[in-house]
Amino acid sequence: MPFFWQGKIVDPRNDEFAEHLSLQRFRTIENAASEEVSIGWVTPADPTGDNFSTEDLDGGVGTWLRLRIDKKSMPMKWLQIHRDAAEKARGKKLSAKERRELKDDLMDQLLPRVLPTITLVDALLFEERKTVLLFATSKSAKEAFTKLFFETFSLQLEPGDPLQAGLNSDLSNDDKHALERVNPIRWPNTTLEGGPSKPVTVPRPVIQKAPEPKDEALEGAEDAVVEESVVTDDVIAADEPQAAVEEPVAEATAQEPEPTEIESLENEA
Amino acid sequence: MSQAFQGAESHGFVGEEFLTWLWFKWETEGGEFTLTGGRIVGIAIDDFLTFAAQTEDETEQTLRRGLPTRTAEARTALRQGHRLRKARLLLAEGERQWTATIDAPTLSLSGVKLPEDAEECESEMDRTADRAANWLALHEIVQALYRMFLKERLHPDYQSTGAEAQANWMAR
Repeated sequence: MPFFWQGKIVDPRNDEFAEHLSLQRFRTIENAASEEVSIGWVTPADPTGDNFSTEDLDGGVGTWLRLRIDKKSMPMKWLQIHRDAAEKARGKKLSAKERRELKDDLMDQLLPRVLPTITLVDALLFEERKTVLLFATSKSAKEAFTKLFFETFSLQLEPGDPLQAGLNSDLSNDDKHALERVNPIRWPNTTLEGGPSKPVTVPRPVIQKAPEPKDEALEGAEDAVVEESVVTDDVIAADEPQAAVEEPVAEATAQEPEPTEIESLENEA
Repeated sequence: MSQAFQGAESHGFVGEEFLTWLWFKWETEGGEFTLTGGRIVGIAIDDFLTFAAQTEDETEQTLRRGLPTRTAEARTALRQGHRLRKARLLLAEGERQWTATIDAPTLSLSGVKLPEDAEECESEMDRTADRAANWLALHEIVQALYRMFLKERLHPDYQSTGAEAQANWMAR
Protein backbone atom coordinates (compact mmCIF):
# COMPACT_ATOMS: atom_id res chain seq x y z
CA MET A 1 0.00 0.00 0.00
CA PRO A 2 1.82 3.16 -1.15
CA PHE A 3 1.67 6.46 0.72
CA PHE A 4 3.13 9.76 -0.40
CA TRP A 5 4.27 12.87 1.40
CA GLN A 6 5.07 16.39 0.38
CA GLY A 7 8.00 18.31 1.82
CA LYS A 8 11.45 17.28 2.92
CA ILE A 9 12.30 14.38 5.16
CA VAL A 10 15.51 13.86 7.12
CA ASP A 11 18.06 11.93 5.02
CA PRO A 12 17.70 8.26 6.02
CA ARG A 13 21.46 7.79 5.61
CA ASN A 14 22.13 10.29 8.41
CA ASP A 15 22.16 9.42 12.09
CA GLU A 16 19.58 12.13 12.58
CA PHE A 17 16.98 9.92 10.88
CA ALA A 18 17.58 7.11 13.40
CA GLU A 19 17.45 9.69 16.20
CA HIS A 20 14.00 10.78 15.03
CA LEU A 21 12.86 7.16 15.14
CA SER A 22 14.34 6.60 18.57
CA LEU A 23 12.39 9.55 19.97
CA GLN A 24 9.24 7.64 19.04
CA ARG A 25 10.64 4.23 19.85
CA PHE A 26 8.52 1.39 21.11
CA ARG A 27 8.09 1.20 24.88
CA THR A 28 7.06 -2.06 26.49
CA ILE A 29 3.80 -2.50 28.42
CA GLU A 30 4.63 -6.01 29.53
CA ASN A 31 4.16 -5.20 33.20
CA ALA A 32 1.43 -2.60 32.86
CA ALA A 33 -1.55 -2.99 35.19
CA SER A 34 -4.04 -1.35 32.86
CA GLU A 35 -5.43 -2.09 29.42
CA GLU A 36 -3.43 -0.13 26.93
CA VAL A 37 -1.78 -0.02 23.57
CA SER A 38 1.83 0.86 22.90
CA ILE A 39 2.92 1.85 19.40
CA GLY A 40 6.46 2.75 18.41
CA TRP A 41 9.38 2.15 16.08
CA VAL A 42 11.71 -0.82 16.34
CA THR A 43 14.22 -2.13 13.81
CA PRO A 44 14.12 -5.43 11.96
CA ALA A 45 17.26 -6.42 13.89
CA ASP A 46 15.98 -5.47 17.34
CA PRO A 47 12.27 -5.79 18.13
CA THR A 48 12.67 -4.19 21.59
CA GLY A 49 13.02 -0.63 20.38
CA ASP A 50 16.18 -0.14 22.44
CA ASN A 51 18.62 0.23 19.56
CA PHE A 52 18.53 2.18 16.34
CA SER A 53 21.41 2.24 13.96
CA THR A 54 21.48 3.41 10.37
CA GLU A 55 22.73 0.00 9.19
CA ASP A 56 19.72 -1.76 10.71
CA LEU A 57 17.44 0.44 8.63
CA ASP A 58 19.06 -0.43 5.34
CA GLY A 59 16.48 -2.31 3.29
CA GLY A 60 18.51 -2.44 0.09
CA VAL A 61 16.28 -0.55 -2.34
CA GLY A 62 14.85 1.64 0.42
CA THR A 63 14.84 2.36 4.13
CA TRP A 64 13.27 -0.38 6.18
CA LEU A 65 10.87 0.89 8.85
CA ARG A 66 9.24 -1.37 11.37
CA LEU A 67 6.37 -0.47 13.63
CA ARG A 68 5.52 -2.49 16.72
CA ILE A 69 2.03 -2.45 18.20
CA ASP A 70 1.48 -4.14 21.56
CA LYS A 71 -1.99 -4.37 22.94
CA LYS A 72 -2.94 -5.57 26.38
CA SER A 73 -6.56 -6.43 27.00
CA MET A 74 -8.48 -8.27 29.69
CA PRO A 75 -9.74 -11.67 28.53
CA MET A 76 -13.53 -11.33 28.72
CA LYS A 77 -13.96 -15.02 29.52
CA TRP A 78 -12.10 -14.49 32.81
CA LEU A 79 -14.37 -11.65 33.71
CA GLN A 80 -17.46 -13.72 32.95
CA ILE A 81 -16.25 -16.69 35.02
CA HIS A 82 -15.52 -14.49 38.04
CA ARG A 83 -18.84 -12.68 37.74
CA ASP A 84 -20.76 -15.95 37.51
CA ALA A 85 -18.94 -17.27 40.58
CA ALA A 86 -19.69 -14.10 42.58
CA GLU A 87 -23.37 -14.20 41.61
CA LYS A 88 -23.61 -17.89 42.51
CA ALA A 89 -22.06 -17.23 45.94
CA ARG A 90 -24.43 -14.32 46.54
CA GLY A 91 -27.45 -16.15 45.20
CA LYS A 92 -28.55 -13.12 43.15
CA LYS A 93 -27.39 -10.95 40.25
CA LEU A 94 -24.81 -8.26 40.90
CA SER A 95 -25.85 -4.64 40.53
CA ALA A 96 -24.21 -2.49 37.88
CA LYS A 97 -22.04 -0.84 40.54
CA GLU A 98 -20.96 -4.20 41.94
CA ARG A 99 -20.14 -5.50 38.47
CA ARG A 100 -17.99 -2.45 37.82
CA GLU A 101 -16.17 -2.90 41.14
CA LEU A 102 -15.59 -6.57 40.43
CA LYS A 103 -14.19 -5.73 37.02
CA ASP A 104 -11.82 -3.10 38.44
CA ASP A 105 -10.57 -5.56 41.08
CA LEU A 106 -9.97 -8.24 38.49
CA MET A 107 -8.14 -5.83 36.19
CA ASP A 108 -5.78 -4.89 39.03
CA GLN A 109 -5.13 -8.55 39.83
CA LEU A 110 -4.95 -10.07 36.39
CA LEU A 111 -3.65 -7.50 33.93
CA PRO A 112 -0.06 -7.52 35.22
CA ARG A 113 -0.12 -11.25 34.38
CA VAL A 114 -1.60 -10.81 30.91
CA LEU A 115 0.89 -10.68 28.07
CA PRO A 116 0.22 -8.18 25.30
CA THR A 117 -0.44 -9.27 21.74
CA ILE A 118 2.32 -8.13 19.41
CA THR A 119 1.92 -6.90 15.84
CA LEU A 120 4.86 -5.95 13.66
CA VAL A 121 4.24 -3.83 10.58
CA ASP A 122 6.97 -3.33 8.00
CA ALA A 123 7.39 -0.60 5.43
CA LEU A 124 9.95 0.55 2.91
CA LEU A 125 10.65 4.26 2.57
CA PHE A 126 11.91 5.72 -0.70
CA GLU A 127 13.24 9.16 0.09
CA GLU A 128 13.68 10.43 -3.47
CA ARG A 129 10.22 9.33 -4.61
CA LYS A 130 8.68 10.63 -1.36
CA THR A 131 6.93 7.29 -1.06
CA VAL A 132 6.40 4.75 1.69
CA LEU A 133 5.27 1.25 0.86
CA LEU A 134 3.37 -0.21 3.79
CA PHE A 135 3.37 -3.98 3.95
CA ALA A 136 -0.03 -4.23 5.60
CA THR A 137 -3.55 -3.53 4.46
CA SER A 138 -5.62 -3.34 7.65
CA LYS A 139 -7.20 -0.04 8.54
CA SER A 140 -5.76 -0.08 12.06
CA ALA A 141 -2.21 -0.68 10.78
CA LYS A 142 -2.55 2.11 8.22
CA GLU A 143 -3.88 4.53 10.83
CA ALA A 144 -1.21 3.64 13.39
CA PHE A 145 1.55 3.96 10.81
CA THR A 146 0.47 7.31 9.35
CA LYS A 147 -0.04 8.75 12.85
CA LEU A 148 3.38 7.66 14.08
CA PHE A 149 5.03 8.83 10.86
CA PHE A 150 3.53 12.28 11.39
CA GLU A 151 4.61 12.36 15.03
CA THR A 152 8.12 11.37 14.01
CA PHE A 153 8.76 13.48 10.92
CA SER A 154 5.98 16.10 11.04
CA LEU A 155 4.95 14.99 7.57
CA GLN A 156 1.43 13.96 6.64
CA LEU A 157 1.24 10.72 4.66
CA GLU A 158 -1.48 10.55 2.03
CA PRO A 159 -2.67 7.25 0.54
CA GLY A 160 -1.94 6.53 -3.09
CA ASP A 161 -4.49 6.94 -5.87
CA PRO A 162 -4.48 6.61 -9.66
CA LEU A 163 -3.23 10.16 -10.14
CA GLN A 164 -0.41 10.01 -7.59
CA ALA A 165 0.63 6.54 -8.75
CA GLY A 166 1.01 7.88 -12.29
CA LEU A 167 2.74 11.10 -11.30
CA ASN A 168 5.23 9.18 -9.15
CA SER A 169 6.04 6.70 -11.91
CA ASP A 170 8.63 7.07 -14.65
CA LEU A 171 6.08 8.25 -17.22
CA SER A 172 7.23 11.08 -19.45
CA ASN A 173 6.33 14.62 -18.47
CA ASP A 174 3.95 14.76 -21.43
CA ASP A 175 2.16 11.64 -20.21
CA LYS A 176 2.00 13.01 -16.66
CA HIS A 177 0.50 16.20 -17.97
CA ALA A 178 -2.00 14.18 -20.02
CA LEU A 179 -2.89 12.12 -16.95
CA GLU A 180 -3.72 15.24 -14.98
CA ARG A 181 -6.11 16.34 -17.71
CA VAL A 182 -7.51 12.97 -18.76
CA ASN A 183 -11.28 12.50 -18.89
CA PRO A 184 -13.24 9.28 -18.43
CA ILE A 185 -14.28 7.03 -21.25
CA ARG A 186 -17.95 6.20 -21.39
CA TRP A 187 -18.35 2.72 -22.77
CA PRO A 188 -21.39 2.21 -24.97
CA ASN A 189 -24.47 0.48 -23.61
CA THR A 190 -24.99 -2.05 -26.37
CA THR A 191 -28.00 -3.63 -24.69
CA LEU A 192 -30.07 -0.68 -25.91
CA GLU A 193 -31.38 -0.86 -29.43
CA GLY A 194 -30.05 2.04 -31.44
CA GLY A 195 -27.80 3.00 -28.54
CA PRO A 196 -24.24 4.25 -28.87
CA SER A 197 -21.72 1.83 -30.30
CA LYS A 198 -18.46 3.70 -29.79
CA PRO A 199 -16.65 4.78 -26.64
CA VAL A 200 -16.67 8.52 -25.97
CA THR A 201 -14.89 10.72 -23.47
CA VAL A 202 -16.98 12.59 -20.98
CA PRO A 203 -16.15 15.29 -18.41
CA ARG A 204 -14.54 14.28 -15.19
CA PRO A 205 -16.75 13.94 -12.08
CA VAL A 206 -17.35 17.10 -10.10
CA ILE A 207 -15.52 17.15 -6.79
CA GLN A 208 -17.71 18.28 -3.92
CA LYS A 209 -15.76 20.35 -1.45
CA ALA A 210 -16.74 20.31 2.22
CA PRO A 211 -18.62 23.45 3.16
CA GLU A 212 -16.47 26.17 4.68
CA PRO A 213 -17.26 27.07 8.31
CA LYS A 214 -19.96 29.72 8.17
CA ASP A 215 -19.03 33.28 8.91
CA GLU A 216 -21.90 35.07 10.61
CA ALA A 217 -21.54 37.97 8.25
CA LEU A 218 -21.85 35.65 5.30
CA GLU A 219 -24.67 33.53 6.64
CA GLY A 220 -27.26 32.96 4.01
CA ALA A 221 -24.70 33.07 1.23
CA GLU A 222 -23.62 29.96 -0.67
CA ASP A 223 -23.82 26.82 1.39
CA ALA A 224 -21.21 24.83 -0.40
CA VAL A 225 -18.57 25.51 -2.93
CA VAL A 226 -18.64 23.24 -5.93
CA GLU A 227 -15.52 23.02 -7.97
CA GLU A 228 -16.18 22.95 -11.68
CA SER A 229 -15.14 19.82 -13.44
CA VAL A 230 -12.25 20.17 -15.81
CA VAL A 231 -13.43 19.92 -19.36
CA THR A 232 -10.59 19.90 -21.79
CA ASP A 233 -10.29 19.96 -25.53
CA ASP A 234 -10.16 16.20 -25.85
CA VAL A 235 -13.74 15.81 -24.66
CA ILE A 236 -15.81 14.62 -27.55
CA ALA A 237 -19.47 15.35 -27.19
CA ALA A 238 -21.54 12.23 -27.27
CA ASP A 239 -23.52 12.58 -30.46
CA GLU A 240 -25.16 9.22 -30.07
CA PRO A 241 -28.39 8.88 -28.09
CA GLN A 242 -27.88 8.29 -24.40
CA ALA A 243 -29.46 5.54 -22.41
CA ALA A 244 -32.73 6.83 -21.03
CA VAL A 245 -33.16 4.18 -18.38
CA GLU A 246 -30.59 1.55 -17.61
CA GLU A 247 -31.76 -1.81 -16.42
CA PRO A 248 -30.14 -3.08 -13.26
CA VAL A 249 -27.50 -5.58 -14.28
CA ALA A 250 -28.80 -8.41 -12.14
CA GLU A 251 -32.25 -8.19 -13.70
CA ALA A 252 -30.99 -8.17 -17.22
CA THR A 253 -30.58 -11.89 -17.37
CA ALA A 254 -32.58 -14.84 -16.19
CA GLN A 255 -29.63 -17.18 -15.93
CA GLU A 256 -27.98 -17.57 -12.57
CA PRO A 257 -25.01 -19.93 -12.57
CA GLU A 258 -24.98 -22.26 -9.62
CA PRO A 259 -21.68 -21.49 -7.88
CA THR A 260 -21.85 -17.73 -8.07
CA GLU A 261 -23.56 -15.69 -5.42
CA ILE A 262 -24.91 -12.36 -6.54
CA GLU A 263 -25.30 -9.38 -4.36
CA SER A 264 -26.65 -6.04 -5.30
CA LEU A 265 -25.28 -3.51 -2.87
CA GLU A 266 -26.56 -0.05 -2.46
CA ASN A 267 -24.02 2.31 -3.90
CA GLU A 268 -22.25 4.26 -1.22
CA ALA A 269 -22.59 7.68 -2.62
CA MET B 1 -7.10 16.30 2.42
CA SER B 2 -4.67 18.59 0.66
CA GLN B 3 -5.36 19.90 -2.81
CA ALA B 4 -2.58 17.77 -4.26
CA PHE B 5 -4.12 14.55 -2.94
CA GLN B 6 -7.61 14.46 -4.37
CA GLY B 7 -6.72 11.89 -6.99
CA ALA B 8 -9.07 9.20 -5.74
CA GLU B 9 -11.99 11.56 -6.35
CA SER B 10 -10.82 13.27 -9.52
CA HIS B 11 -9.06 10.26 -11.08
CA GLY B 12 -10.77 7.27 -9.49
CA PHE B 13 -12.22 6.44 -12.90
CA VAL B 14 -8.67 5.88 -14.22
CA GLY B 15 -8.26 3.07 -11.69
CA GLU B 16 -11.60 1.61 -12.79
CA GLU B 17 -10.58 1.78 -16.43
CA PHE B 18 -7.27 0.11 -15.50
CA LEU B 19 -8.99 -2.82 -13.78
CA THR B 20 -11.40 -3.29 -16.68
CA TRP B 21 -8.47 -3.10 -19.11
CA LEU B 22 -6.73 -5.90 -17.16
CA TRP B 23 -9.79 -8.08 -17.62
CA PHE B 24 -9.91 -7.22 -21.32
CA LYS B 25 -6.22 -8.09 -21.76
CA TRP B 26 -6.58 -11.27 -19.77
CA GLU B 27 -9.48 -12.50 -21.89
CA THR B 28 -8.19 -11.39 -25.26
CA GLU B 29 -4.44 -11.89 -24.89
CA GLY B 30 -4.13 -14.53 -22.18
CA GLY B 31 -3.10 -12.29 -19.29
CA GLU B 32 0.65 -12.53 -19.79
CA PHE B 33 2.53 -9.27 -19.65
CA THR B 34 6.19 -8.55 -20.33
CA LEU B 35 7.15 -5.72 -18.04
CA THR B 36 10.05 -3.31 -18.29
CA GLY B 37 13.28 -5.19 -17.76
CA GLY B 38 11.90 -8.37 -19.31
CA ARG B 39 9.96 -9.56 -16.27
CA ILE B 40 7.08 -11.78 -17.35
CA VAL B 41 4.01 -11.85 -15.15
CA GLY B 42 0.64 -13.47 -15.50
CA ILE B 43 -2.65 -12.19 -14.16
CA ALA B 44 -6.16 -13.58 -13.90
CA ILE B 45 -9.32 -12.38 -12.27
CA ASP B 46 -10.26 -14.59 -9.35
CA ASP B 47 -13.54 -15.10 -7.56
CA PHE B 48 -14.65 -11.60 -6.66
CA LEU B 49 -15.57 -8.55 -8.67
CA THR B 50 -17.64 -5.44 -8.23
CA PHE B 51 -18.96 -3.27 -11.03
CA ALA B 52 -18.95 0.48 -10.55
CA ALA B 53 -22.25 2.27 -10.60
CA GLN B 54 -22.39 4.79 -13.43
CA THR B 55 -24.29 7.32 -11.36
CA GLU B 56 -24.72 7.85 -7.64
CA ASP B 57 -28.31 6.63 -7.80
CA GLU B 58 -27.50 3.27 -9.37
CA THR B 59 -26.79 0.11 -7.44
CA GLU B 60 -23.36 -1.43 -7.37
CA GLN B 61 -23.20 -5.08 -8.32
CA THR B 62 -20.90 -7.60 -6.72
CA LEU B 63 -20.30 -11.13 -8.00
CA ARG B 64 -18.41 -13.54 -5.85
CA ARG B 65 -17.37 -17.20 -5.70
CA GLY B 66 -16.98 -19.55 -8.61
CA LEU B 67 -15.98 -17.91 -11.87
CA PRO B 68 -17.80 -14.57 -11.83
CA THR B 69 -16.19 -13.34 -15.05
CA ARG B 70 -17.89 -16.18 -16.91
CA THR B 71 -21.39 -15.37 -15.73
CA ALA B 72 -24.12 -13.89 -17.85
CA GLU B 73 -24.47 -11.10 -15.27
CA ALA B 74 -20.87 -10.05 -15.79
CA ARG B 75 -21.25 -10.03 -19.57
CA THR B 76 -24.43 -7.99 -19.29
CA ALA B 77 -22.68 -5.47 -17.08
CA LEU B 78 -19.91 -5.11 -19.65
CA ARG B 79 -22.41 -4.75 -22.47
CA GLN B 80 -24.08 -2.00 -20.45
CA GLY B 81 -20.73 -0.21 -20.29
CA HIS B 82 -19.94 -0.74 -16.61
CA ARG B 83 -16.36 -0.51 -15.38
CA LEU B 84 -14.87 -2.67 -12.66
CA ARG B 85 -14.59 -1.04 -9.26
CA LYS B 86 -13.00 -3.91 -7.37
CA ALA B 87 -11.61 -7.28 -8.31
CA ARG B 88 -9.67 -10.06 -6.74
CA LEU B 89 -6.65 -10.86 -8.88
CA LEU B 90 -4.25 -13.73 -9.14
CA LEU B 91 -0.78 -12.55 -10.07
CA ALA B 92 2.14 -14.81 -10.83
CA GLU B 93 5.79 -14.41 -11.66
CA GLY B 94 7.82 -17.57 -12.05
CA GLU B 95 6.88 -19.84 -9.18
CA ARG B 96 5.62 -17.03 -7.00
CA GLN B 97 1.90 -16.36 -6.83
CA TRP B 98 -0.05 -13.62 -5.08
CA THR B 99 -3.72 -12.97 -4.64
CA ALA B 100 -4.99 -9.49 -3.82
CA THR B 101 -8.15 -7.45 -4.11
CA ILE B 102 -7.65 -4.13 -5.86
CA ASP B 103 -9.90 -1.20 -5.08
CA ALA B 104 -9.76 0.70 -8.34
CA PRO B 105 -10.50 4.31 -7.30
CA THR B 106 -7.69 4.25 -4.74
CA LEU B 107 -5.53 1.50 -6.29
CA SER B 108 -5.22 0.10 -2.78
CA LEU B 109 -4.78 -3.59 -2.11
CA SER B 110 -6.55 -5.67 0.49
CA GLY B 111 -6.80 -9.35 1.33
CA VAL B 112 -3.26 -9.87 0.13
CA LYS B 113 -1.96 -13.41 0.11
CA LEU B 114 1.76 -13.64 -0.41
CA PRO B 115 3.66 -16.58 -1.90
CA GLU B 116 4.78 -19.31 0.49
CA ASP B 117 7.98 -18.54 2.37
CA ALA B 118 11.02 -19.65 0.42
CA GLU B 119 12.47 -22.98 1.51
CA GLU B 120 15.86 -21.46 2.24
CA CYS B 121 14.39 -19.24 4.98
CA GLU B 122 15.94 -20.53 8.18
CA SER B 123 15.38 -17.74 10.65
CA GLU B 124 12.61 -15.30 11.49
CA MET B 125 14.78 -12.56 10.01
CA ASP B 126 15.03 -14.52 6.73
CA ARG B 127 11.27 -14.97 6.65
CA THR B 128 10.66 -11.30 7.33
CA ALA B 129 13.04 -10.30 4.56
CA ASP B 130 11.41 -12.81 2.20
CA ARG B 131 7.93 -11.46 2.93
CA ALA B 132 9.09 -7.88 2.52
CA ALA B 133 10.60 -8.83 -0.85
CA ASN B 134 7.30 -10.43 -1.87
CA TRP B 135 5.33 -7.33 -0.83
CA LEU B 136 7.70 -5.16 -2.80
CA ALA B 137 7.46 -7.42 -5.85
CA LEU B 138 3.64 -7.32 -5.69
CA HIS B 139 3.69 -3.55 -5.56
CA GLU B 140 6.16 -3.38 -8.44
CA ILE B 141 4.02 -5.67 -10.59
CA VAL B 142 0.84 -3.66 -9.98
CA GLN B 143 2.73 -0.42 -10.63
CA ALA B 144 4.26 -1.77 -13.83
CA LEU B 145 0.89 -3.01 -15.10
CA TYR B 146 -0.66 0.34 -14.28
CA ARG B 147 2.15 2.10 -16.11
CA MET B 148 1.57 -0.13 -19.17
CA PHE B 149 -2.08 0.76 -19.09
CA LEU B 150 -1.35 4.48 -18.77
CA LYS B 151 1.06 4.39 -21.71
CA GLU B 152 -1.74 2.99 -23.86
CA ARG B 153 -4.54 5.03 -22.31
CA LEU B 154 -2.76 8.38 -22.60
CA HIS B 155 -1.79 7.86 -26.23
CA PRO B 156 -3.50 10.44 -28.45
CA ASP B 157 -4.98 7.68 -30.65
CA TYR B 158 -6.31 5.62 -27.77
CA GLN B 159 -9.96 6.34 -28.40
CA SER B 160 -9.86 5.11 -31.98
CA THR B 161 -7.60 2.13 -31.28
CA GLY B 162 -7.41 0.53 -27.82
CA ALA B 163 -10.72 1.92 -26.60
CA GLU B 164 -12.56 0.70 -29.68
CA ALA B 165 -11.06 -2.75 -29.40
CA GLN B 166 -12.08 -2.88 -25.77
CA ALA B 167 -15.58 -1.62 -26.59
CA ASN B 168 -15.95 -4.43 -29.14
CA TRP B 169 -14.89 -6.95 -26.49
CA MET B 170 -17.31 -5.47 -23.97
CA ALA B 171 -20.14 -5.68 -26.51
CA ARG B 172 -19.61 -9.39 -27.24
